[in-house]
Amino acid sequence: MTRLLDIGLQRITNLIMDMGHLSVDLVNSALESYDKGIMLRPQIFEGSEKLRFLQMEVTDFATELIARYQPVARDLRLIQSFMDAAYGFSRFGRYAYDIAEVLETIGPFPDCDKSQVTTMAKTVKEMIELSVTSLEKLDKNASQKLYMMDDSVDSVFRNYLKKAITQTKKRNFEPKCYVSSLLILRYLERISDHACYIGDCVHYVVTGDPSPRR
Amino acid sequence: MAIEEPIEDKEEAVQQTAERYKVRIEKVNGWYGSKRAIRDVNLNVKEKTVTAFIGPSGCGKTTLLRCLNRMHEMTPGAHADGRVVVDGIDIYDKSIDPVIIRRRIGMVFQKPNPFPTMSIFDNVSAGLRLNGMNNKTIIREIVEESLRNAALWDEVKNDLDNPGMSLSGGQQQRLCIARALAMQPEVLLMDEPTSSLDPIGSSKIEELVRVLKDNVTIIIVTHNMQQAARVSDFTAFMYLGDLIEYGSTNQIFMNPEKELTERYISGKFG
Repeated sequence: MTRLLDIGLQRITNLIMDMGHLSVDLVNSALESYDKGIMLRPQIFEGSEKLRFLQMEVTDFATELIARYQPVARDLRLIQSFMDAAYGFSRFGRYAYDIAEVLETIGPFPDCDKSQVTTMAKTVKEMIELSVTSLEKLDKNASQKLYMMDDSVDSVFRNYLKKAITQTKKRNFEPKCYVSSLLILRYLERISDHACYIGDCVHYVVTGDPSPRR
Repeated sequence: MAIEEPIEDKEEAVQQTAERYKVRIEKVNGWYGSKRAIRDVNLNVKEKTVTAFIGPSGCGKTTLLRCLNRMHEMTPGAHADGRVVVDGIDIYDKSIDPVIIRRRIGMVFQKPNPFPTMSIFDNVSAGLRLNGMNNKTIIREIVEESLRNAALWDEVKNDLDNPGMSLSGGQQQRLCIARALAMQPEVLLMDEPTSSLDPIGSSKIEELVRVLKDNVTIIIVTHNMQQAARVSDFTAFMYLGDLIEYGSTNQIFMNPEKELTERYISGKFG
């Protein structure tokens, strides 16, 4: 016999997966728009707002499940983690919007070197997808992989930051290129952190322990 | 009363036990004739804490509870073996008078059971009188204190001569708790004390449990897992006569070690 709670858990799982897939699409669109100079700010804003509303829906529904069914153990950890993950996905949406806004505000950047952003974007896209699939499959091992990838993202960001400062002294310095890259790298670095937090959530659901890295 | 520790270490052992554990349950088996209802249960209960026994019907939690003040042996054909050590004293020692044990280890039952022909006052004072207390002033003081501790005084202070049975179900249960408290027990056993009460009566008993644990060690059997989660510091999960898992209530309800515990508390069986 199906527990009443299971019906609710299935619904909240569907909501969170919708959020995950939408956030992947939004970040991908934002990065593509930056790369190709396509203005997508209104569309990405709409998606970001949708994620924000979905996050509120997840929180409301999670609260309802707790109030009505008083879940414990893994059920409770799952609901708690879904609330955290929903926040993470809504942040993905917000950063996607921020990326689109950089393009809208100071873009396009046809002559800028985008190699650093491209490199980091590749890793971060992989991280977002991994965070979504780890949540879908409740793969506790994903958190370790996400942390390794996060280290490389952090490293790229720090190096670029240093480089940007030294480059400002050069004559051919193009502020638009460096500022846009720096902002986008910063947003990607934040997305990477949130992907790790989602990995932590999965680890917590499965083991009951916080991530060993925390 | 026999002390179970070697004589040279007696004082220290008793002191240490008193500080660490009020009740030690060691390899306790509970029998109904030849049928073993609980098997080799080991469990230590800390002083001034609330411990909940949970598990599906027939798992042995009430039997175990009744072993803790030798009520189990009052059932025809029933007996227990193993050791139940309270403050270093094995209550199953042959030299121990079970009546004295039941005075130190009070019990509250599933259904409120005030003495039907007695007034509220007499219900609370009955145990004192039976134990030879005659000083009316002291009796009155103890009755008032017990009713206050059972959070019933304000509701009945002007009706002490009314029959105990005239009270509501929840009040009757608090009257029974007052009756148990009048004997100044060190341990209070509660066997599903709210199962026959409405939510308001239940919540008053739960609040009372939290208050009483400042002075008394409480062990409660409950079918209501949310109640166990709310009121207890430690939880023991039993299944088919075995103690499956015992730990802090937070650990049991957030991250149980055993799959069986997880399945039970999550409502996946039972």
